[in-house]
Amino acid sequence: MTLLLAALLMQSAAALSEQAMAAAQNGNPIEAERLWRAAIRADPKSYPALFNYGLFLHRGARGGEAVEYLDRAAALEPGYQVHLLRGMNFQKLDRREDTIRAWRDALAFQPRNLKLMQVLSIEYSKGRYFHEAAAITREALKLQPDAENLYLIAIKAHDDAGEEEQAAELSAAAVARFPSSARAQFEHGFYLQKRGDTAQALVHLSKAMELDPRYEESFFFYGDLLVKQGKWNEALEPLKKSLAIRPEYSPARVALARALMNLNQLPAAVAELEQAAKLDPHNAQPWVMLSQVYFRMGDEDRARQAKETSVRLRRENPEVLEAAQARPFPAN
Amino acid sequence: MTAVSRCFCLLVAVSIASAQGVATRNAQAAARGAPSGRPFLATFTDEAAAAGLTAPITVGNPDAKSYIIEANGTGLAALDFDNDGWVDLFVVNSSRLEGFPKSPAPVSRLYRNLGNRKFKDVTASSGVGRAGWGNGVCAGDIDNDGDEDLYVTYWGPNSLFRNSGDGKFEETAAALGVAGPEKEWSSGCTFLDYDRDGRLDLFVTSYQRFDPATTPPPGKSSNCEWKGMPVFCGPRGLPYGSATLYHQRESGVFEDVSKSAGIAGAGSFYAFTPIAADLNGDGWTDIYFASDSTPSMLFRNEKNGKFREIGTETGVAFNEHGFEQGGMGVGVGDYDRDGLLDLVKTNFAGDHPNLYRNSGGGIFEDAVLSAGLAVNPQYVGWGVALVDLDNDGWQDILQVNGHVYPELDREKRAETYRQPRLVYRNLGGGKFEDVSTLAGPGIAATHSSRGAAFADFDNDGDIDVAVMNMGEPPSLLINALPPGSKWIKVMVQGVRSNRSAIGAVVTVEAGGSKQTLPVLSQSSFLSQSESRLHFGLGSAARADRILVRWPSGQMEQFPGAPAGSTLRLEEGGGSPP
Repeated sequence: MTLLLAALLMQSAAALSEQAMAAAQNGNPIEAERLWRAAIRADPKSYPALFNYGLFLHRGARGGEAVEYLDRAAALEPGYQVHLLRGMNFQKLDRREDTIRAWRDALAFQPRNLKLMQVLSIEYSKGRYFHEAAAITREALKLQPDAENLYLIAIKAHDDAGEEEQAAELSAAAVARFPSSARAQFEHGFYLQKRGDTAQALVHLSKAMELDPRYEESFFFYGDLLVKQGKWNEALEPLKKSLAIRPEYSPARVALARALMNLNQLPAAVAELEQAAKLDPHNAQPWVMLSQVYFRMGDEDRARQAKETSVRLRRENPEVLEAAQARPFPAN
Repeated sequence: MTAVSRCFCLLVAVSIASAQGVATRNAQAAARGAPSGRPFLATFTDEAAAAGLTAPITVGNPDAKSYIIEANGTGLAALDFDNDGWVDLFVVNSSRLEGFPKSPAPVSRLYRNLGNRKFKDVTASSGVGRAGWGNGVCAGDIDNDGDEDLYVTYWGPNSLFRNSGDGKFEETAAALGVAGPEKEWSSGCTFLDYDRDGRLDLFVTSYQRFDPATTPPPGKSSNCEWKGMPVFCGPRGLPYGSATLYHQRESGVFEDVSKSAGIAGAGSFYAFTPIAADLNGDGWTDIYFASDSTPSMLFRNEKNGKFREIGTETGVAFNEHGFEQGGMGVGVGDYDRDGLLDLVKTNFAGDHPNLYRNSGGGIFEDAVLSAGLAVNPQYVGWGVALVDLDNDGWQDILQVNGHVYPELDREKRAETYRQPRLVYRNLGGGKFEDVSTLAGPGIAATHSSRGAAFADFDNDGDIDVAVMNMGEPPSLLINALPPGSKWIKVMVQGVRSNRSAIGAVVTVEAGGSKQTLPVLSQSSFLSQSESRLHFGLGSAARADRILVRWPSGQMEQFPGAPAGSTLRLEEGGGSPP
């Protein structure tokens, strides 16, 4: 035992760290940890020992302990990898500002790292630093202007930042660059309809529908625009298609119900609204419309009950009314 | 270092897929349709100063509002109080929280129309010059004696000025039982005859029960901010208002029947402008009012002294997504000439107005998008009407605007406290176009406006507008429509019905088309427009036939008349249609 201890002490901290790695790989975490600790005791300024022990702790869901070792490693040898790992560790600990700082430091070492820019953009957005998120995605786009996915992330970042104008411009640029991309056509159509340019929005949403008949959003927004124009009959097919793709899509059911209600197909409207109410049980809107449909059917008692339900839901879930209709934003 | 590189493959996979949805709440301006290219001949010029309408209207601190009561402004009334054929103007004044220790408090003013685009201030001699925190006004002949009486709402007891017929008014609110509670902030009012007994009843809305002692100061909570700027609190988070229905007994005294009529407890709202009209065409007068940040309410007359609230059921409580809106003013007309009464409602900024098209039976569909009216969400809309401004036979829309936060101007934001007016020309076919830039300097001028009263003040056959401006004198927008356009005016007088014929619906047939307008008490924003109904005739040289559905339920037809006529139709003087 004495001989073994003496031998260990003689080894360099780097060698101990390598042994610790091997132990970790061989499924012996207790031994690995003991070795890393020994390495750090032997040389408190051993970057490999500090980094790898920090990584070991991070992966072992001991991120809080990892912070010290990773910070010490970063102070010794600042670099892309250690800052990236620090950012990941902070992210796991829900320390968003520290995450952003660490990743910003990492980006300083690899300023053309597009993946990191994307990740940082999303972290900025999650922290509601929308302008920063938008700025970094614009930088990423400059570096790789042929990446469709970057356009989508940049559009979202600008939209989050309240820079709808820029988001709309980017969607126009995306559709010009990727005319056969259903998603680009959809984004452009989406912003055109937000601006109220219904005719052009319908053109681009229609192209998106052709290019990707499995993307329900194009069908929904196309149908919803027709509903808003009072073109009830024309709206039915795209809305039904949207629901065939995603039956749980509550806003599409509400839009379909509005069209059906105005076509005097009242029982069908009731069925859609009842489904929508089940799918989105905190939302008052299906109940508001149910109240209208029952009223048109002459059933004023049920109309009143539906209204009362809508009032209760609005009172219990005020944020649902404040939150606007959302759409998923797959950026991958 | 090998370990370092080995483990790093994990790192970049983080959460790209965790992006969130995109909000679509703040209403954007819809694209404008291609201009029709048709000339718009109605142009408006503000002639208030030359006409003698010079007294400013005081509503709280003009530069910074500490409480919401300082922001909502007042209405005006266009009425012919002396029956001389010229429409006079009553302007509601308000107050300020610190009072007026060193000067006389401002009072509401009555201006007599002298007939030459000049007005004389007759406030002192008429007896209507009450100081206090005034808000809205409505007119009606409560005692059926042939002249119009005035009801004025206040923060505090309201006033009922009974017209003595000799140029003087007598304050009778307390004596007749309509003064209302001490602490209430009453906003709107409308006379109506809901039980067809021939006597006018009264409906009063209250914005809230306001008490500065219990109202938080600006910036105190999330309800006290506007886009990051600390502003006065509310209306959300503050106590709700109420609605009161007074029934006029045979003695002329009013009785609060809100409970028995099903009005009390109908909901939680911050109520503004009420209108009383037969919205479902069943011959009985219903009540609708715009609510701020809460559902607007429609009370259907059940024909038995009771009302049933059906705003949600009929589609006039919310916008198309079921969202509450910042409702302010209401106009009533028949923009699509189908004989059914439609509604236009103004709302807060970041939203569109509502154009509730009556699709029959009192069921409404908001046609604001398809009508082309969703093009100016940057303005806070207030007074509004469906009126034929260019006498082409189609009812247009005039809307006055103004933000509620004067602080916006100091912060140099895109939004401004003073905002221009808007004119939308009715193109027919359910479409409107924004012709504000063609409608003269009175429309382009920026003020923070609230109430608007519509009337032909100079009796030249076109509709003019009196507008309340915060902290300024009112505007008098004189319409300089070139001579030669064709019109007819109709005054209806009840006999079995209330003499003001409030609640009557008049249809004029001319040149193969029909136009319909109701006789209203209050509308627009807390204002009273002229009770003579004005119809543009387009190219028709005469009105062929006039149909009146009286508040009593009786239907009558009257012979038409050449363009340029002002007809006085008395109930019972026509023939069955």
